[in-house]
Amino acid sequence: MGDSQYSFSLTTFSPSGKLVQIEHALMAVGSGQTSLGIKATNGVVVATEKKLPSILVDETSVQKIQLVTPNIGVVYSGMGPDSRVLVRKSRKQAQQYFRLYKETIPVTQLVRETAAVMQEFTQSGGVRPFGVSLLIAGYDDNGPQLYQVDPSGSYFSWKASAMGKNVSNAKTFLEKRYTEDMELEDAIHTAILTLKEGFEGQISGKNIEIGIIGTDRQFRVLSSSEIDDYLAEVE
Amino acid sequence: MSRGTGAGYDRHITIFSPEGRLYQVEYAFKAVKAAGVTSIGVRGKDSVCVVTQKKVPDKLLDQTSVTHLFPITKYLGLLATGMTADARSLVSQARNEAAEFRFKWGYEMPVDVLSKWIADKAQVYTQHAYMRPLGVASMVLGIDEEKGPQLFKCDPAGHFFGHKATSAGLKEQEAINFLEKKMKNDPAFSYDETVQTAISALQSVLQEDFKATEIENIIPLHLTHCYIPVSPQFIAWFLLVAWQLA
Repeated sequence: MGDSQYSFSLTTFSPSGKLVQIEHALMAVGSGQTSLGIKATNGVVVATEKKLPSILVDETSVQKIQLVTPNIGVVYSGMGPDSRVLVRKSRKQAQQYFRLYKETIPVTQLVRETAAVMQEFTQSGGVRPFGVSLLIAGYDDNGPQLYQVDPSGSYFSWKASAMGKNVSNAKTFLEKRYTEDMELEDAIHTAILTLKEGFEGQISGKNIEIGIIGTDRQFRVLSSSEIDDYLAEVE
Repeated sequence: MSRGTGAGYDRHITIFSPEGRLYQVEYAFKAVKAAGVTSIGVRGKDSVCVVTQKKVPDKLLDQTSVTHLFPITKYLGLLATGMTADARSLVSQARNEAAEFRFKWGYEMPVDVLSKWIADKAQVYTQHAYMRPLGVASMVLGIDEEKGPQLFKCDPAGHFFGHKATSAGLKEQEAINFLEKKMKNDPAFSYDETVQTAISALQSVLQEDFKATEIENIIPLHLTHCYIPVSPQFIAWFLLVAWQLA
């Protein structure tokens, strides 16, 4: 990809053996809006702040949590435009998998292929790494799963994770609150409480987004009124 | 040819700075402001209106050829704020894309789809070193069959949002402050109110009276589903009304 003039990698090793472009990419993620995910016994929940630059922005035109397949959803922290590229590629990869194997893509395979794309952009000529970390949540034959993929292309499976501005407080909060036998409803409440911890301003259904997937294996984004209901329960 | 740690080159091509910023993208935003023009867009109940300044730097120039408003199709308009040459390149590609869409899928390209396409293109320039980002903020407007009047703004970083009202260019922030006050309670503007809000926003921000020939204005009408560039005489009438309201 790119012009032949740039057929050398822009991400190269520093004398100390670090790939500084990737570290800078992680800085970009760290200054993005907080998002988190929690895996429960019977599902997964992902949530993110949805702070828009002005009240003039039509919040119904923005959806940060995206569907990749009917049973896999993704949320990001970092640079929105970069995440769109990855979502598009992941969707295509899922379809190509289905075309080849006539089976819906397992979550691990999708994560692997998405991570491979992110890694490519740390090594290919003339491109910079993606400035996003992704939380991929899905439910397949192996049960509910939650993966985090970083700009370097490395990924891990998490019981609960957070990314973005408030990552350290959020993770501390999750470590305290997480239990192995948590069910989806509890997880949603915990997710909201975690977001609330570091939230500047008044939290409402209009400035956060929540996506859930349960045993029905249908990933869906909650409407703002549903979120308001949960917020009322949590008060 | 220096590469590697990106020392010093993070300002020249779109690679990350140590703080995780893309300087080239930030400079592109500055280029939008450097054009010295402010644009406003307002969405009403059944119409959308955009207004921009028409700065003709030389009296010898043919004024009719100076424009930032471009029809993409009969039903979609694009207001480009920033570097005119970049704008023309973008418009040319957008027109092609919209025409192909109509041919391939059999229905008109919706506003949000075109905006996404423009934004995705902008994102590519922020990630690939061989092309710089475009110094253009685009406002795409039209009437959507299902959602009604739509106004989207795309910026050099690849962000795009739908807006109830917005602004771009030199006095972007002042205009947005003005518009936030006007749109606070989610008003549903009529056709006239939409145009008046847009023009009075521009007036208040520029703090000067301007003649009808110094601004450009396009308004899609819900009934006819097409946009019309408004003639100077038409604008003059609105200016009269706006002055009385201001």
